[in-house]
Order: sequence, then C-alpha cells, then structure tokens
Amino acid sequence: MRDDPTVVDLVTRARDGEKNAWDELVERYAPLVYSVCRRCRLAQPDIDDVGQSVWLRLVEHLPGLREPAALPGWIATTTQRECFRLIRATSRVEPVDFVQAPDVPEQAIAEEEVLRHERKTILRTAFAELSRRCQVLLGLLMQDPPAPYDEISRRLQVPIGSIGPSRARCLTRLRQTPALARLAADGPDDRTRG
Amino acid sequence: MDPDWHDDEKLIEALRDALASADEVPSAFVEAGKAAFAWRTIDAELAALTYDSAQDPLDALAIRSESAILRSLTFASDGWTVELELTPDAVLGQLDPPEVGTVTARGDGGKLATAEIDELGFFVLGPPPNIPYRLVCTTQSGTTILTGWVTP
Repeated sequence: MRDDPTVVDLVTRARDGEKNAWDELVERYAPLVYSVCRRCRLAQPDIDDVGQSVWLRLVEHLPGLREPAALPGWIATTTQRECFRLIRATSRVEPVDFVQAPDVPEQAIAEEEVLRHERKTILRTAFAELSRRCQVLLGLLMQDPPAPYDEISRRLQVPIGSIGPSRARCLTRLRQTPALARLAADGPDDRTRG
Repeated sequence: MDPDWHDDEKLIEALRDALASADEVPSAFVEAGKAAFAWRTIDAELAALTYDSAQDPLDALAIRSESAILRSLTFASDGWTVELELTPDAVLGQLDPPEVGTVTARGDGGKLATAEIDELGFFVLGPPPNIPYRLVCTTQSGTTILTGWVTP
C-alpha cells in the first residue's frame, strides 16, 4: 500500500477542493484515527475532540503534503500526539497510568497501527470485490458463533454438503482479488513459500 | 500477503476483525470528519484546549458558587492563549499576548457571532451561540488563531 494510487489521487483531488475526495479520505482513515484513540483508552467525547483536531490539521496539512503515500503514517502519528495532549490536559483530575509509562516509542506504535489499518483496509476492499453470494456465505460463517450449516443451507438454498467447498472457493477468490493479489505481488512474504 | 492468510481459518478470523473494526466507528465520528473540510479555507494557527473547568470538579464547584460563570476554558497554540469564560449572556474572552482584532464564532454552517478584540486583548461575544462553535481570532498584525470546539 506504500504508493497506493487511490490515496495519491484522493489527496490531489481533495487539495483541489473536491469535497467528495475528502469524504472518501475521511471514510478510509476514520477507523485508523478511531483505533489509535481506543488504544489510548479515550472515552467517546474525547475521541470526538481528537478526531476534530486530526481532521482539521489534515485539512491544513493537505497543500503541503509532499508524499501522499505517507498519509496513513502522518494520520496515526498526529492522532497519537493529540491523544497524549488531551490526556495531559485532563490528567490533573484523573491520572492515567498510560501517560507515565509510554515506554514504547511513539513512532513504533503509530507504525504498528498503520500496518494494522492497511491490512484491514485491504481485506475489506477484497471482501467488497467478492460476489454477493460469497459475501453472504462468509458473512454467515463469520458470525459469532458462526451460523449453523443447516441455517446457511436454508438461507442460500444450497445442499449442506456444498457449504464447505463453497467456503473454500470463496476464500480462494478472496485471495485472488486484485486487492490481495497486489499485496502478494509486492510483498516479500510469499517468496519463502514453495 | 500475510502468510497466515493462506490458512482458511486465519483468513476468516482476519476478515471478521477487519469488518468489525469498520463497524465500530460511529457514523457521527465520520460525519464530523467530513464536515471539517469546510474549515479548509481558514489559514489559522490552531489553539488546542489545555484547560476546561468542566473537567475539574473542584473548579467547577468554585465557579458555580461564586459567579455567573458557567465554565472556563483555555486554548493555547505555540504563541497565543485564548481564555474564555462562558456566561449565560456572553462569551468573555482574553487573547494573550493582547492585540487588537476581531473574533468570530463559527459553526460548521458558518459565522454565528462577531465581536471586536480591544487593545487589552479582551472581547465580549454575545449572545453566546447555542450550537457547537469555534472562535477565529484575527489580529491587526494578520495572525489568525482558531480554537478547538466549544460545546455549549
């Protein structure tokens, strides 16, 4: 995802004043901002505050953003700083042990969040590229607890015996979607596999 | 691709996690982010909240018993501080260092109220907006300072 053409395009368009592109950027990265806030154990009103600061800084930062591909990292780091700032501003009232012990370097946490976010985004994109039928099937299987096979059989009107093979086929298709295939193409992870 | 994703069970688990984390983000959070685009044209120094009496039980009590001040807030950027006292009739503010200028309360929808900042950096903005707003202070020397959100 390092030079995801979509992100570069969205940043360029948002910079030119295109509201749609901005909306898409927010939709794409809101889960990242949110998860960093959650990791800082902020409550909802504080998460909203941090979110506002981050988006606003991003609005300001857009024109000067030289490498749009670096955007996720920038968002994660900025969110984290805003979280720390908020914790510091309010910790006179309720000391939070987290502030006293940030033994992991700020950059490392942010990078980890970015990677996590990228992996999730890729999976969601890949899932959206699947056929409706595969989405429904996987959706039922992903329920907690997973839907029983007889229920799936009824809902999808397929014999119980074909559910297992269908599941395997859908997962194979998921791995072959452009989103995941692209990752396989530039990721070194797979080379060790025979 | 993550080597784990070659395993069906692990791939399903990762997918479940990915879909769930998108679901947990409240839509209001996303919408507020989208609305931030409206601030794009304001080139300002951001002053972040550094103090809020509502977060401080002792101060909140003292304020309630002593005066008509409902809440006091402090916003600070690198070079500027904006102190606010919210009263039922007006927002009393102090820009530090003091400088003549104008102050505007803005919501996502635009301007809500405007007032002058005097040579002591003091301003009275009223009546106070009843929807969330931020203050934009523009000084004579050309600096613009934008505070974080104030929710009445």
